[in-house]
Amino acid sequence: MNPFSNEPVLDLRRGEVRESLTAALTGVERSLPLRVPVLIGDQSGAGEGIESLDPGRPSRVVAVAGTASASDVDAAVTAAGRGHREWGGRSAEERAAVLLRAAGVLRARRAPLAALQVLECAKPWAEADADVCEAIDFLEYYARQAVELAAGRELIQVPGERNTMTYRPLGVVAVISPWNFPLAIPCGMVAAALATGNAVVLKPAEQAPGSALMLAEALREAGVPAEALALLPGYGEAGQALVRHPGVHAIAFTGSGAVGLEIVRTAAETPDEQGHVKRVVAEMGGKNAVIVDSDADLDEAVPAIVRSAFVYAGQKCSAAARILAHEAIADPLLERLAGAVEVLRVGQAGTFGTDVPPVIEREAQERVERYAALAGAEGRVVARQDELPEPGFFCAPTVACDLPEASAVLTEEVFGPLVAVERVGDVEEATDRIEASPFALTGGLFSRNPRTVELVARRSPVGNLYVNRHITGAMVGRQPFGGNRRSGVGAKAGGPDYLLQFVGPHVVTENTMRHGLVVE
Amino acid sequence: MVDEGELERRIREIGGALERALPSRARHPVRSLDERAMQLASEDAELKAALFRFVDVTPACRSLDDLSRHLAGFLGEVEQTPPPLRVAMRMAETGPGRAVLGAASARGVRHMAHRFIVGESPRAALGVLGGLWDGGAASSVDLLGEATVTAAEADRYAVRCSDALETLAQACAAWPERPALERDSAGPLPRANLSVKVSALTPLLRPEAPEVGRDDAARRLRPLLRRARDLGAHLHIDMESLDSLETTLELVFELLDEHELADGPSAGIVLQAYLRDSAEQLDRILAWARASGRRPALTVRLVKGAYWDHEVVEARQHGWAPPVFEDKRESDRNFEALTRRLLDARPLVRVAVASHNLRSVAHAIGYNRTRGGADEDLELQVLRGLGDDLLHALTRQDLRVRAYCPVGDMVAGMAYLVRRLLENTANDSFLSEQARGADLDRLLAAP
Repeated sequence: MNPFSNEPVLDLRRGEVRESLTAALTGVERSLPLRVPVLIGDQSGAGEGIESLDPGRPSRVVAVAGTASASDVDAAVTAAGRGHREWGGRSAEERAAVLLRAAGVLRARRAPLAALQVLECAKPWAEADADVCEAIDFLEYYARQAVELAAGRELIQVPGERNTMTYRPLGVVAVISPWNFPLAIPCGMVAAALATGNAVVLKPAEQAPGSALMLAEALREAGVPAEALALLPGYGEAGQALVRHPGVHAIAFTGSGAVGLEIVRTAAETPDEQGHVKRVVAEMGGKNAVIVDSDADLDEAVPAIVRSAFVYAGQKCSAAARILAHEAIADPLLERLAGAVEVLRVGQAGTFGTDVPPVIEREAQERVERYAALAGAEGRVVARQDELPEPGFFCAPTVACDLPEASAVLTEEVFGPLVAVERVGDVEEATDRIEASPFALTGGLFSRNPRTVELVARRSPVGNLYVNRHITGAMVGRQPFGGNRRSGVGAKAGGPDYLLQFVGPHVVTENTMRHGLVVE
Repeated sequence: MVDEGELERRIREIGGALERALPSRARHPVRSLDERAMQLASEDAELKAALFRFVDVTPACRSLDDLSRHLAGFLGEVEQTPPPLRVAMRMAETGPGRAVLGAASARGVRHMAHRFIVGESPRAALGVLGGLWDGGAASSVDLLGEATVTAAEADRYAVRCSDALETLAQACAAWPERPALERDSAGPLPRANLSVKVSALTPLLRPEAPEVGRDDAARRLRPLLRRARDLGAHLHIDMESLDSLETTLELVFELLDEHELADGPSAGIVLQAYLRDSAEQLDRILAWARASGRRPALTVRLVKGAYWDHEVVEARQHGWAPPVFEDKRESDRNFEALTRRLLDARPLVRVAVASHNLRSVAHAIGYNRTRGGADEDLELQVLRGLGDDLLHALTRQDLRVRAYCPVGDMVAGMAYLVRRLLENTANDSFLSEQARGADLDRLLAAP
């Protein structure tokens, strides 16, 4: 295998590239609605029950998905138990070959896969394309990592004793994935579990079943046995049943903190018939802060903050929500940030040049509006676009400031195009405020003093700190991604340690002395 | 067809004459200090990084104390610190030491900046511009500014440009006549000349949607073109990174085709020879010029391109093939190929060749003469601060030369200054080769 390298994103500066994407969009539009069945082994249930809508044109149904029942969950886990025995029995190289083939299948479908995200999740083109690339990266990266891991670890050897340490799959992994990275995040969790020999039951977010189906199809086409990968579209109940099921060995989850903690609680219950302790890999929310020191270059900081806070309408767990600005530059920063937000282009995800697309659903729109109103009541709104396109679940990009420290706008995850600016006396004070937060996912720092960079890097609790750049867009192998504290369990997706979450270590010590003779 | 052997002989001759006309280095003792700093920087990558980071942060520092702390921080990252800088680091350990060090280094950076930036405002630059004119060189003013991220900033830049046109036109009117700088075979050449940047005219540059930035910038560029027309000034639209190339080309073509701008002003565009597909861009420019038939003819300024590092890094981070030639010689060869195509395309376009590379300049002059072109129909351009010696030599040879003169305050000028320093300390640059004393035959060899 050649060494891993990231799948290059499309160069959207090129007109012919844009044209090919627009053509793909038309093609996908014609095939709507997609039917997303419950897939268990060779069985495929009817795809009806859940409708996923185009957030930019809610009258359009993008996919019609089945709703997995409690018995579907049971059947899927039972089948996965069998699938695990077959799939886990193959060598790491064989499994890696299948995953690399799946990467090839996705690569061949990059344009339609991105187009589907534009329609199903209102992801603007650049973001949709990057998501497809990241999915390919996860397959390519974990396939290689798993082969490396299969060689085991070196242990100390003494005469007359042979020690080996190897890693084995856990069994059945339940993957519960969000809608905001509709292909990459489920693909990452599924690929990690499969690469290490587990069978997977995937329960995708009800807002994005179409992309999950594309993922399952690609993996099965590439040679993942039907019983080693089940697809259970459905609502939260299906996920709960899956987490509770005693046949599940590990749960890989990415989503909200509330659901994540509920999973941790449920998974901890260990009924008598369950012969193992469940493991939970949970990536949850953030309330990510960017510190802007007095020596920051605002020419760089302002565009980077805008990008971090408003791209994909702020619907990334890594998005910037708080800006902690040194008082010496807070006023010019606020003025320039407000001006930059006022010219953001709010529009349809499929239109090139759109900065802020609609949010995923009405509920999200209402939530963001509640926080924006609260920001106006408790503080000051310095930028907000009044006119929004119709139809679609659009939210006005908003910048707020002068909020009391306890304001919910500063402490709760909004997950929308809203950013709040706070003044601080110095970087130490900013770091104190960040330390007081239970979230620790991403963070940013703008400073041109190497000593300040060193100080913040040492004190910041976040999983991913970005210095003098935007704080979103982690790349597989370059920025292993994941949070600490209440933002996550510390597993770093796309990093060298991630696969350890999906295996159990086994050590064998053999006595190689026979009658005083070493028989190695 | 051109007799290449004959042309090469000519290039040597022209290059040799230019070299002899260069002022001797010893006559500029004041310059030697930053020359030495730049020399030191070009020999040590870590030191270069420290120097650039320091220059870059200088205007953002709140006090001399703050400035010294930054300097010490940067130098702390240099593994092998030269002795004078170790003294600086020790000075940074005490309050009074920091004040002295801060004042000294601030002076150093200001001195460096003044070499490249001719004044804080167009009015303040008039003395330098008039001096250039008296010495036989024309100028183009470039207004440095902070990045444009808001509509208000774009508006302010447009107002500054409009004011600059006014100031320049008014002041130029009093300059003495210089026929060599005011006319070529196609007609009169405006004295007042302003270069503008599209990225400063709109906060809406979207590489994936060129029409968005084009339409927004057009709202501000159109009145500037009108103003230039009414004042009889030349307006040159600069080229920046590849992210804004399509926007810039479309913007210029579209506006110059508008009915009210059909007869003026004199306007120009830039072609960057380091871009792999610059030949196709020239096709587009010439096709437009042919179709439009606009007069006065579009001036095309040929440059190597100043965003090489940016383009290469951006491409590498995205896993793309770099859009620029990675071997400098390829850029140089392409520069000569484009020079020839441009000179052959006259009178469809006016040609300005902007380079500090003696070979590239001598090639343009030699090719033009070989083809029977008049010297007056080839403009040569240099950057203020970097190309001063070459400008001097070119004027002594009675060639038509224009200096590109950035104007603005230090905060605004820092990005420009850092780019120029980068250029000046790049190991493979013509200027550093020249500074290292490479022999004339090597400097003038065909790339």
